[in-house]
Amino acid sequence: MSIETKAALLGLAAGLAVLGGTFGLSPFLQLATAAAAKEQSTNIASAATSPTLEGEARRGHSLFDHNCAHCHGDDARGDEGPSLYDLNKTDARIARIVREGIKGEMPKFGAKLNDADIQALIAYLRTLNS
Amino acid sequence: MSNVLWAKMHGGTTHFPIALVMASALFDLAGFLLPDNPGKTRRASFQAAGFYTIVLGALGAFGAVASGLVMSQGQLWGRGSLARHHAFLWPAFGLLIGLAVWRLVVRDRASSLGFKIYLAGSMLTAILMAATGYWGGELLLNR
Repeated sequence: MSIETKAALLGLAAGLAVLGGTFGLSPFLQLATAAAAKEQSTNIASAATSPTLEGEARRGHSLFDHNCAHCHGDDARGDEGPSLYDLNKTDARIARIVREGIKGEMPKFGAKLNDADIQALIAYLRTLNS
Repeated sequence: MSNVLWAKMHGGTTHFPIALVMASALFDLAGFLLPDNPGKTRRASFQAAGFYTIVLGALGAFGAVASGLVMSQGQLWGRGSLARHHAFLWPAFGLLIGLAVWRLVVRDRASSLGFKIYLAGSMLTAILMAATGYWGGELLLNR
């Protein structure tokens, strides 16, 4: 068997081994992170889905789920984007960020959300206090 | 460690294997296509560059994959852009490791046919890595 054939077999084995190892380890990683996420979401569930959320904030929560949760996390505690709890920004500033985005960091939603939507979103964000 | 930090680590680590694998394919292609110089050093230099860049790219891929897996909480597939990102990532990762091992074992003892097959594999891997990076970027910017 030539050195190239041996190397090809070794390369094939190594490629399959790393993929197998990655796919094999993933369920353990999922278990570990799911436990942490569950604990975190339990803590904020009352704020996020509380029946005390009224009108604007309730609609804002729905808008958040459809537009923002993917980056900021279902619980708004942050994922790829930052946590939105205890925002220290004015309504006008938040509205501008939502409308115009942040270059290289956050897409703009001005074309997708109108002023009323953004106000509802802000109403929801104002309920997120730790 | 927070997800935001893992996301930043993934963003920081993932560009190395993408760039190194592309550079490796280009170095090897240049060494294969360009005529050698009278001192017979040009091809050897390109091939040495191709060798080190693929090995470093393969090593870097472990960091990129590990940080990405932790960031996505162990998701191997996902939906939408994440699924497309993974559809290119897993073949690219397997191929990259396989090619790097082949290159490490064979070094400069490759036959002409063997090296042509390797070169085709390395260019395919570079294309898959580029597609992986593209869909990773889409995850960040277009959702």
